[in-house]
Amino acid sequence: MHHANHFYGHAHVLARYAGLGDGHPPRINGYVQHGWNIGDGLAPGHPYAAGTPSLLWSEQTRRRAWSVGRRNVTVIGAPFAYLLATRPEPPPTQPRAGTIWYPFHGWEGQHVSGDHKELIARIRDTEPGPVTVCLYWHEHRMRRVRRLYENAGFRIVCHGYRGHWWTGTDPDFLDRQLAELRRHTRVASNRLTSAVFYGIAAGCEPAVYGNPMVLAAEDPTFGGTARIRRQWPELHGEQLHLPTAVEIAREELGIDHRHPPAALRELLGWAAPRKETT
Amino acid sequence: MTTETAPNVALPGGEMPGWSDRPDEGGNAPLAELVARLAPAGARVLLAGPPDPALLDVLGPARVTCLVRGYPDAAALAGRVTQVVVAGPQGLPAGEEYDLVIAAGGLDAVESVEGVRLGWHGVLSRLAAAVRPGGALLLRLDNPLGVHRLVAASGWYTGRDDAQWTVGGVLDATRPANLDQLRDRLTDVGLRVDVRYAAYPRPESTTVLLATDQLTRPGGCGLFDAALHHACTAGYADRFVLADPARLAVDALYAGRAADLAPSWLVYAHRPTADGAAADRPDRPDRWPVAVLPAGGPGGPVVAVVDTPQGWQWEPPRVPRSGPVPAPYASREVARRDPAAPDGPVPDGRLLRSLLLDGCLRRDTARLRRLLRGYADWLDAQADAGRVTGAVALAGVDNLVVAGDRVAVLDPSWRADDPFPVDVVLARALWRFAVELTTGGYAHPWTSTLDVAGLTVVLGGVAGRDFDRTVVDSAVRWEAVLAATTRGGAADPRADLTANPRAVTPTDPPPGPRGYQQLRDAWLRQREENTRLTALLSWTEELLTSREHALRRAEAKLDLLSGTLGYRAARLASSPARLARRGARAVKRRARTAMSRKDGAS
Repeated sequence: MHHANHFYGHAHVLARYAGLGDGHPPRINGYVQHGWNIGDGLAPGHPYAAGTPSLLWSEQTRRRAWSVGRRNVTVIGAPFAYLLATRPEPPPTQPRAGTIWYPFHGWEGQHVSGDHKELIARIRDTEPGPVTVCLYWHEHRMRRVRRLYENAGFRIVCHGYRGHWWTGTDPDFLDRQLAELRRHTRVASNRLTSAVFYGIAAGCEPAVYGNPMVLAAEDPTFGGTARIRRQWPELHGEQLHLPTAVEIAREELGIDHRHPPAALRELLGWAAPRKETT
Repeated sequence: MTTETAPNVALPGGEMPGWSDRPDEGGNAPLAELVARLAPAGARVLLAGPPDPALLDVLGPARVTCLVRGYPDAAALAGRVTQVVVAGPQGLPAGEEYDLVIAAGGLDAVESVEGVRLGWHGVLSRLAAAVRPGGALLLRLDNPLGVHRLVAASGWYTGRDDAQWTVGGVLDATRPANLDQLRDRLTDVGLRVDVRYAAYPRPESTTVLLATDQLTRPGGCGLFDAALHHACTAGYADRFVLADPARLAVDALYAGRAADLAPSWLVYAHRPTADGAAADRPDRPDRWPVAVLPAGGPGGPVVAVVDTPQGWQWEPPRVPRSGPVPAPYASREVARRDPAAPDGPVPDGRLLRSLLLDGCLRRDTARLRRLLRGYADWLDAQADAGRVTGAVALAGVDNLVVAGDRVAVLDPSWRADDPFPVDVVLARALWRFAVELTTGGYAHPWTSTLDVAGLTVVLGGVAGRDFDRTVVDSAVRWEAVLAATTRGGAADPRADLTANPRAVTPTDPPPGPRGYQQLRDAWLRQREENTRLTALLSWTEELLTSREHALRRAEAKLDLLSGTLGYRAARLASSPARLARRGARAVKRRARTAMSRKDGAS
């Protein structure tokens, strides 16, 4: 199993959907796209075996991956789409309220530089209701950053640790994220990221605004934030046209490409799973 | 040789004493079906060239003269027809005219090696002169750019057979090379073309006739698509070809060029009467079939399709059905041919097989979902308590047409009496399609790591059905039995597939014709698979090395920690618990032993 398949508990979500239970998921015969991106669906810099299947979120990503030389690429949809299928929205115990705000994060090997105070002011000016700020785990552990948002009167949450090199994966990461999203009316971020698409799919009104911040040593291969703004202008702004956003999210998360459990087992190489003991 | 001749055999000179043109392949059943509509009882018919046994059968009530060049053929015909003339075309009795002249083997086979050569146009002129005013000529012309030539493993110009004492070249201006030139030549000899058919799959073996004016209709149609696919797949089975003739023919159909690429053409042209009247002609244009083809797949009885104000209709055959109808079964069989089918309207629409292949190539998964869900929902709608029977149960994607949201069985000749679960019916159709998709080397939206059964399950998922390999297994077992039953006496291009269906892998070449292109593509797929596995092995080796290092580091850490004071204190503290657990396990073990001894003693 490629270690990136474990990120955010993706393999666990897929295994649960595929009917393999809550145990440790079997090895996946391929690489599952682990986040929305504007490249070939795979994280740059990771070692991959040529010809091993790329299991991607959307048809657009598949075309892009093919055009840059990837083969054996197929669309299965995002693991979050499978989570939605296994976790239908329960009857609300209390009405949705407020905004869940995702300040852009890199992963733990990257560093984001930007003015959090300026961003906080912008959020205060824009968001009509209470705000929950979801920090990435290593920012959540940075007391200085956390305090900034806490002092602004925002509720602070962290969905968990995505895991790295087969350790520390939180199998309930996406479950926790879905539950949080379903508590809120809006989802917002300063960059168009997976979380925004997840939020739209979970029934939130999206918004993308504020300083997108700068990622140290950001890989410019795929065009960066400028390209994202050019290609998805409909998804940038404080108030967006919801039906358009829903349609785009549906395509980007590959909701319509979701396979039934038996077909998913075949695509992931789980039709006759080997027992793993770890 | 003998100089004794049967009373109705004429030897005017120019015969070939030891020569025989008797075809070694089965008769031209579609031509016979067509001729049965043209030659009324008592008509004077001239069969010029190799006599087709199927034609002789349908011309029984007519007054038939055969013009053959080989004496052995004449001896075989004596007594079966009114008269046999053994000669080249010059040997035809001067001034004798016929209602219908048939040159079903083309004009080359009419000319003898003896005497002066007339050439193609000379032979045509002589035969045309034998057509009475109001009568007609039915002529085959081979296409120098037909599918058979495009896929031939050897060049047409390398001919060394006994019959190729000359090889017609491209510069032979008297020989027409396309339908327009043929029309002009016929006009030159006073004939007017009424109808033209494209004959597939090979010049020497016609199993389908398709009206050329219908072949140019934009978008093709499901009936012609299926007819060309089946005819070319069966017609070239086990032959070595450069490329898949069925793919080429179907591509030509959708490009509006299936008539241009036909291996041969069959043309019907009449000689107008002096006053231009056509009242005494046995045929009328509205009675010409748009297609003559075998029902129920290759080898089946030949039927015609006619155009009516209500659309295309299957028409009962004029020739009694003598195809390889399976023997009546003592017990219920898995499938049987319906003697009354096909009948009634031909459903319009496009062939589901072609639509699915197109969707796969375009990676249009939304369209594939619509098509396959439409098919699966249609099956559900036909089902009674989750099971389907009849033609619906047996029709594969190569026998289903789709028009809008409507799905229909194209040719309901084969029926299942026993009901089958919808999922198994669907899985069988999808498994057959998956075999074609993978072994045919078609690009598709899914990964190469899927085997045929896995791809079938995925296709089932695209159809919105969640069945697994156990259902596919049932479907494949059923397919093996069905293939043996429905094959009848026909050559089965999929024989190697049906013999051991589970052994088919995506890197195999497709069943049917042995195409160089398909064999090379299969080799490339195998090479790609080897490359993928090598890369995976190398990556896995590196990963294993990395994980072994991690394991060694972890073991070293454990060793280090197990020597610490804290570890020893903790181990000492947990000793009573460990001893208690060990004791409990021993007691349990002894109790189990005692129980088993007691059971053994009793």
